[in-house]
Amino acid sequence: MKQEVSKKEVLIGAIVALFLIAVIPGLNAFTPAGSSLHVSDFNINLWGQYLCLAIVAVSIDMLWGYTGLLSLGQMLFFSLGGYALGMHLMLMIGKLGQYKSDLPDFMVFLGYTKLPAHWEPFAHFWFSALAVLWVPGVVAFIFGYLAFRSRIRGVYFSILTQALTYAACLLFFRNELTLGGNNGFTDFKTLLGFDLGAPGTQRGLYIASAVALVLVYALCRWLTLTKFGKVQRAIRDSENRVLFSGYAAANFKLFVFVLAGMIAGLAGALYVPQVGIINPSQMEPAKSLEAIVWVAVGGRASLIGPIIGAIGVNGLKSWASQAFPAYWPIFLGAMFVVVVLFMPRGVVGLPAQIQEAWRRHKRAKEAAAEAAATATQVPKDSQS
Amino acid sequence: MTFASLVHADESETAARQSAARAILAPESEQATIVQDMAANPSPVLGPIFEAWQRSQVYIYEAPDGARIPFLLMPADGSAAKAMRIDNGEPLVGPDGAPITVDETVMKPVETFAKLRRAMRSTMDLLALADPAPATRQSAILKLGMKQSPEALPILNARLAKEQDKAVKNGILDSIALINLASPDPQLQIDALNQLKKSNSIPSRELVAKMAADESLSPKVRAAAVSTLKAIDNHLFWVDFFGTMFRGVSLGSVLLVVALGLAITFGLMGVINMAHGEIMVVGGYATYLVQCIFGSGVALAPFGISVNLPGFGFDPNSGIYQSYFLFALPVAFLSAAAVGVLLERGVIQFLYRRPLESLLATWGVSLVMQQLFRLIFGPANAPVYSPAWLLGSFSVGDVIMNYNRVFVIIFAVAIVVGTSLLLAKTPVGLLIRAVMQDRTTAACMGVRTRKVNTLTFAFGSGLAGLAGAFLSQIGNIGPSTGQTYIVDSFMVVVVGGIGNLIGTVISALGIGTVDQILQTSLRNPVIGKVLVLVGIILFLQWKPSGLFATKGRGLEN
Amino acid sequence: MSKQFLLAAEGVTKSFDGFKAINDLNFYLDKGELRTIIGPNGAGKSTFLDLITGRTRPDTGTIEYKGTPLTKLREYEIYRLGIGRKFQTPSVYSDHTVFENILLGLEGSRSVWPSIFSRIKPEQRERIYEVLKTIGLADKAELKAGTLAHGQKQWLEIGMLLAQNAELLLVDEPAAGMTDEETAKTGELLLSLAGKHTIIVIEHDMVFVRQLGSKVTVLHQGHVLCDGSLDQVQADERVIEVYLGRKKKH
Repeated sequence: MKQEVSKKEVLIGAIVALFLIAVIPGLNAFTPAGSSLHVSDFNINLWGQYLCLAIVAVSIDMLWGYTGLLSLGQMLFFSLGGYALGMHLMLMIGKLGQYKSDLPDFMVFLGYTKLPAHWEPFAHFWFSALAVLWVPGVVAFIFGYLAFRSRIRGVYFSILTQALTYAACLLFFRNELTLGGNNGFTDFKTLLGFDLGAPGTQRGLYIASAVALVLVYALCRWLTLTKFGKVQRAIRDSENRVLFSGYAAANFKLFVFVLAGMIAGLAGALYVPQVGIINPSQMEPAKSLEAIVWVAVGGRASLIGPIIGAIGVNGLKSWASQAFPAYWPIFLGAMFVVVVLFMPRGVVGLPAQIQEAWRRHKRAKEAAAEAAATATQVPKDSQS
Repeated sequence: MTFASLVHADESETAARQSAARAILAPESEQATIVQDMAANPSPVLGPIFEAWQRSQVYIYEAPDGARIPFLLMPADGSAAKAMRIDNGEPLVGPDGAPITVDETVMKPVETFAKLRRAMRSTMDLLALADPAPATRQSAILKLGMKQSPEALPILNARLAKEQDKAVKNGILDSIALINLASPDPQLQIDALNQLKKSNSIPSRELVAKMAADESLSPKVRAAAVSTLKAIDNHLFWVDFFGTMFRGVSLGSVLLVVALGLAITFGLMGVINMAHGEIMVVGGYATYLVQCIFGSGVALAPFGISVNLPGFGFDPNSGIYQSYFLFALPVAFLSAAAVGVLLERGVIQFLYRRPLESLLATWGVSLVMQQLFRLIFGPANAPVYSPAWLLGSFSVGDVIMNYNRVFVIIFAVAIVVGTSLLLAKTPVGLLIRAVMQDRTTAACMGVRTRKVNTLTFAFGSGLAGLAGAFLSQIGNIGPSTGQTYIVDSFMVVVVGGIGNLIGTVISALGIGTVDQILQTSLRNPVIGKVLVLVGIILFLQWKPSGLFATKGRGLEN
Repeated sequence: MSKQFLLAAEGVTKSFDGFKAINDLNFYLDKGELRTIIGPNGAGKSTFLDLITGRTRPDTGTIEYKGTPLTKLREYEIYRLGIGRKFQTPSVYSDHTVFENILLGLEGSRSVWPSIFSRIKPEQRERIYEVLKTIGLADKAELKAGTLAHGQKQWLEIGMLLAQNAELLLVDEPAAGMTDEETAKTGELLLSLAGKHTIIVIEHDMVFVRQLGSKVTVLHQGHVLCDGSLDQVQADERVIEVYLGRKKKH
């Protein structure tokens, strides 16, 4: 584990960041559609989504890779962030909806005549933008406080986080919550006055996602280098030792859990205007597990791994679920099994893993050769 | 008024038919009265005639000789409906003896009007009093009582004298009491209230409640009404309570059956098997296939290859077809156990003592299995039919018990007792327990732990298969059925505590009952379920390692 | 009780599933004392340390440290009173370097925010190297703790207690799995700490116990059988019966 950020790392990071934030959208905006360098509007939108998912993956890695907390409900926080911004987007539709009402269509459909009071503040963008962070943060705090206080660990924690997202999913399917029931929110029109259908807006959202990813990455990278990061990994490796070293491990875990929840919320908020829909199916337990796959495939406890994993797996998914829709789930499942069994450090850790295996193999061969050499010298000994 | 059952059955039938014909031919002003009087001569043949009349399917045939013959149209397979004479039940024939065909579209049915229809309905209700099925009699009697018309009193009294069935007798007494509630005589009212109090008559609650609130009644009557109302409410509370408990226990039994295999693999082996639900579904599909083979076979098209499984072609109503489920049980157990063995050898054996990894890898397996189900059996639910003996219900003291819920409970008891006997009394069970308690020591003592692991996992999976067979009888089996149960069954195991069957049993029944209580009191299944999940999280605050925790001595436990 | 003990356990009982691991235990320790606890397997030695450090809670009885009751406190709260513990099996952070292990044990704030924003000060670095020198691991500072030999891990764990500057050190079988040479070195280390720190050592190795030369307390079936010097204790009839009586059954 590197102690300090090397100049090389900063340089590479800066180049990649520049590429993501400036070069790709530049190629979209300033090259002609026919050019081989051109990035299409479709691809900008797609990559914007990937980057949001990569942000979730980083948040999962902070929990699982660095703190040993396998949360199976991270997409809940993602969805909460998405819903928080989605409420604002719904109100921004205004009279452009099918029912030509100031109320969101689903409310008209359900017979509401007045906007429920808890919706009102979401008409302000700033309120929604803050809610994107604090709503997931508060939910994570309450659940985390209860779970960590009573020392719910390991698989118990995983199972409970799964139950949490499952419960939320059931709840959000209900119309009583006034959050659109099973249809959720969709048909968004504008954000901050920009037409969401315009390529320029989508490009802006892509850039916002890229900036968010770079900032989140930098924040997490910095955190893992501080003493906090050391305690984090210490909790992962030997939580009891941490307790008997005087650290209230629960507080550290709670901090990471809330932080990761807020990061996921941010990702959700950026994701929703790019896909144009948010509904409770995002909270289904399988969605969160799928996000774990990205991290596992990319390589956990490496921060860059989850980003590669999220983009790689989702890129593969976009292609394969078109090309082989019937076989994609089988492939995804099988890939996951293989990664868990044979690639504990994911794609990122593969070179090191191969190197180690090669070294071990060489050493074994040398040892065998040596043993053979000794055996020929003193055959009697080797027989005993 | 005389009663018709004194007469011979055939005679009464003929008499009934003739009066029905008379009623149809009678002038409108007399029809209703004739129909009402027919109640005195109950015969089962009247039901269909009145029904047809109400549906405007009764017509009048004007014979060449000028006779007017009422008839009704019998439902027929062919295009033309068969006409049947109402006065004697014979087919309607012309003078030449050939059946007369009737064109519905041109004939004008005998009209009915509101008063007549009312009369027919009340006569039909009275007819039901003599129905051979006690349940039909019971509901007819109650209906009569609820109308509170004193004219029914002699009919009810006459029936009471003849009635053999004890429950129906009580029903008659209740109905008489119900009618007497409206009587002007306070003593009769009080007696009636006492009768209703004695029998805890739930249907009378509303009427009694009205009386308890009626200030025009004498204080004595009101006091009796209040006391009856209290008794009924009290009874109602217990009926609700036991009904909820019963439903809770049966839901708990479902959870228990589903979670039991998980308690073995997770509790005893420390392996989180996210594919448990899918292994269960294997059992469900195995049941489906057995059913198909008992029937007319099934055609599947996995991966574009068409596979035809021939069936024995048993008649769906035959006893052997109805008992297919018994044959499906071992098949479900074995097929699920076989899948379990594959899973254990292929994946899980590398992941003992790495529960998080086992969770993730088995989730990958569950994805693969779900898609395989979809490719083999199609995306829709498999149509598994429950045997006829699972339908219907019976009631114990006003608490309704469905046969399938009772079956669920019996099945759960059998499977739990079987499992604990196997673990406690057999050499295999001893080996399993030994390895699960202390792997290293068991290995030192010469136990082949690898084999025992596989065996245990196969057993846990087999139990999941049984659960799947069982679910196919009370719910649906489809590619994603397993997913709907996995969260619940993990909750059961977590709350019950690891490695403890008793904990699993208590936790399953507890969660099932609490779920039902919340559902009943909130009238909202989803909120109830969400509250149960929240409750579980809070419960773990109090007992973080479940109801029955086992303690280890190492630092990292 | 007129005298203020550093640690006083009175009438402590703890049972697991009906088995009484600790049974009406009374135990007093003076400040600065080095005490060795011996006893056959299952005598309740480790359970006693669990009770002091808050890992388990007693069914009845009180445990007080400098007059503060410990039985309601959480592990890290007890630690913050100045009670450090080394476990029977060495538990160090194997993925962290030796340096980081000591750093995590170093006395100072244990809260979340300072851990994020504080940097390692030069004097802290010095202190860490001082501790590393004491335990003889200065040249291994940048190695991962997981790569250390068994004995070195034991020392590293003791080093973490030293860095913490705990007043009361609870040391569970420090010599287990060590070579004779390492055991002797561990004994020297503990002796050099005695006086500055109050120490409870749990040990099986009688040679090691003799080297420590401290007052010995014998536990048997969760109860104090007797205490005194090692020679006194070894001459005690009951102790002989407990140890030898058990041996006959083997």
